[in-house]
Amino acid sequence: MDPASLAALGRLEVISRWIVDGLLAGLHRSPKKGFSVEFAEHRTYQPGDDLRFMDWKVAARADKWLIKQYEEETNLRATIVLDVSRSMDWKSQPQLLTKLAYAERLVAALSLLLIKQRDSVGFIRFDDQLRSVVPPKSRTVQWKRILTALGDPGSGQGSDAAGALAQAGKLIRRRGMVILISDLLLDSQEIDDTVHALRAQGHDVTILHILDPAERTFDMAAGESEFVDPERGDSLAVTPADVRELYRATVNEAIDEWRARFSGAGAFYEPIGTDQPFGVPLRRAFAARQRLN
Amino acid sequence: MSFLAPWALLLAAAVGVPLVLHLLRRRTGARIDFPAVRYLLRMEREHAREVKLKNLLLMMLRVGIVLAIALAAARPIGPLPGFGHPPTAVAVVVDNSLSSAAASAEGPVLTRLVAAARNVIDGAASADKLWLVTMDGAVTGGDAGTLRSALSNLRSLDGAGDATLALRRASAVVRASGVPAQRVVVLTDAQASSWTSISAEALGGVSATVVVPSGEPGPNRALTEIATEPLHWDPRGAVRATMRGTDSTTWRVVVDGRTLARGNAQPGAAIVANLQPIARGWVGGTVELGPDELRADDVRHFAVHIGEPPAITVDAASSVFLRGAVDALVQGGRARRGGDVLLASAEKARTPALLFAPNDPLKVADANRALERAGIPWRLGARREGPAPLRGAGVDGAVARSWYVLTAAGTPTGVDTLARVGASPWAVAGEGYVLIASAAEQSATDLPVRAAFVPWLDALLSQRLAQSSSGVTSVAPGATLRVPSRVDQLEAPDGSMRPVESGAQLEMPWTAGVHFWRRAGERVGAVVINGEASESELARLAPAELADSLGAESVAASAEGVAGATFNAGGSRTLERTFLVLAVLLLLAEAFVARRGLLKTAAA
Repeated sequence: MDPASLAALGRLEVISRWIVDGLLAGLHRSPKKGFSVEFAEHRTYQPGDDLRFMDWKVAARADKWLIKQYEEETNLRATIVLDVSRSMDWKSQPQLLTKLAYAERLVAALSLLLIKQRDSVGFIRFDDQLRSVVPPKSRTVQWKRILTALGDPGSGQGSDAAGALAQAGKLIRRRGMVILISDLLLDSQEIDDTVHALRAQGHDVTILHILDPAERTFDMAAGESEFVDPERGDSLAVTPADVRELYRATVNEAIDEWRARFSGAGAFYEPIGTDQPFGVPLRRAFAARQRLN
Repeated sequence: MSFLAPWALLLAAAVGVPLVLHLLRRRTGARIDFPAVRYLLRMEREHAREVKLKNLLLMMLRVGIVLAIALAAARPIGPLPGFGHPPTAVAVVVDNSLSSAAASAEGPVLTRLVAAARNVIDGAASADKLWLVTMDGAVTGGDAGTLRSALSNLRSLDGAGDATLALRRASAVVRASGVPAQRVVVLTDAQASSWTSISAEALGGVSATVVVPSGEPGPNRALTEIATEPLHWDPRGAVRATMRGTDSTTWRVVVDGRTLARGNAQPGAAIVANLQPIARGWVGGTVELGPDELRADDVRHFAVHIGEPPAITVDAASSVFLRGAVDALVQGGRARRGGDVLLASAEKARTPALLFAPNDPLKVADANRALERAGIPWRLGARREGPAPLRGAGVDGAVARSWYVLTAAGTPTGVDTLARVGASPWAVAGEGYVLIASAAEQSATDLPVRAAFVPWLDALLSQRLAQSSSGVTSVAPGATLRVPSRVDQLEAPDGSMRPVESGAQLEMPWTAGVHFWRRAGERVGAVVINGEASESELARLAPAELADSLGAESVAASAEGVAGATFNAGGSRTLERTFLVLAVLLLLAEAFVARRGLLKTAAA
């Protein structure tokens, strides 16, 4: 089902659950399942304890009734960094989601997915400044916090992705994962430096580059028109049909540059179209998360 | 390049649309939010040259499309090298006049002209339109096979034909074809006597090519004149002919299939054969020379009536001059006394008769009543006084001192005016009568006292009044003449009969020979068809001289020369489709350039 149709079916949290449940149901059972639960020590059984945690082997061998205690541990701290600048709030066709709407649903689904994996998930929204900061937590309620943060105001004129990423790095005290969701219509050098810095801190960095299909193909039906950047005010008059192929070549060139730049920094990069099913970016992010174990 | 619809060139003003769009492309009013403008700016920065080149190329293509459509709508005509010759309407005029039968070392002229005509046909394409026109004015149209067949059956005429008519018809058919490229190809021996008087006007402005076979004509012997003396043989008579040539040759005279005389003829000398044939009635004959390169003018035909002289009765009251003339004819054996033909004053009119107006004006009323009773459709009117000169065969030089205005009663048919005084008829002839407007008196006309009176009278008796005579008419091949009154058939030289209508105009065949008028199964006159003497003069005009006089170009009679000159490969053709195809190609190119044109360059 395409993203816009799916989004039309219900609220953000409901849809996100569907997305994540569908994704997890489709995954193979991992041999590393339970990785987040590690044995810590035994203690004497006390009435009311869950019999599922009784160490039956010790009971049979030594006739001692011991309960196995586990140290619940999130082995991953992830921070999702969402660009909410004005350029994200745009769609080329009425039947599509804006890049921001698509990214918000992606954030909701991704954070739910990570929380279900008992990871700590933090969330940062930014435009020309930080708009929302939710420190990483692994509790279920954390997801509600993130959903609430998604509704905060934003859509400023610029994108301070470098600052947001730096803030994300600070939120994660030990080795973790930073997921940047942005249309990357921002200064490439700054973000490049920041990604390098995050990588130097040992963080795993994943960049999901959100693109409206028209931004990729320039399939605009308009004739000779002046195209205006709503964020920076830049403009250029062209006839789409005349420059379409050149534009596509330029965008592909830019994507290749992003890919090369992030690969060089050891970051994972994936361009995502807003017409792609949510499962695609989720699988990419989940695969990145799995690589950390 | 010219245009059939030049007003359509106004559409070319539409080229301003892409030009203005191109020049004003930065001033467009439509604004569209597009966050990825930085990619557009980068594209323009990195590919500015390609973008500008592409925009310029697109502008030029769009201007070209508009121009091509406008030019196609204007229906241009112009050369299109490399695509064969344009569709052409070609009329091939083959000069098959008598002179084309002349043989030379290279073969008969007509054979070479036909070969040149075949070259034209071989060089034609399916889109061409072809006609074959001959000197008799016959036009044959159709495909190449039809024309080749017509060429195979083409023969030389026995006369000069009508070159002007042939050129006019050739010009008319190509102009009526609707094909823009038109040409008349004249294949001729350029005989000076035939073509000197022909002007470019006959071509009506159509482009023409003159093709004249190489070589010079050889010496030619010919019979140029022939006459029988007298017109009526009783049965003695003579044939007189004139030979033109540079050397002597043999001759013979054939009458009714029998050779009656032979001899040797010297150039310029008269051939005279006194004959007394056995045959009676109207018979045909020939005078023939020994054959040379042009056989057709070595034979000349004649016709003569052989038999008893006409029986005539002279009114006793006739003038002494008339009676004296009749005596001379009777004594000369040119007439005999009898009751057939009456020579008298008009008040005693009957048929057959030679009637003179009464000398006494008081007898005019009686004369008119007698004419009416005799069925003669003429009346004597007001009397006129002269002297006034007479004009007509046998009477030139004579004058009329007094005469009556001859007035037609009703609408006479089959009437010939033999002589005129001023604008009025003076001698008229019809079926069985000759009516003279003056009396046969010296006081009325000096004709009776002139030496020409007796021969004139003899001619009237033998050709107009003899019961079995409609006379002899000598014409050129293809001539048109009037069928004599009461004639119902025309007998061809091969003996075949053709019904004719008395008084109607009749076109004679293009072959030489003797034809006989027939009435009720009897021969009553003859038509002798001989080629024009001028056809025996084989001197030629220089090809360039002939071409100049026709406003044409002259080419050699080679296959390449004829076909190349006829179908001008670089000649004008309608370029309407060409420009439409060009517009479509430009549209395709525009679509290609707009969508993919510089992708490789950009990607590089």
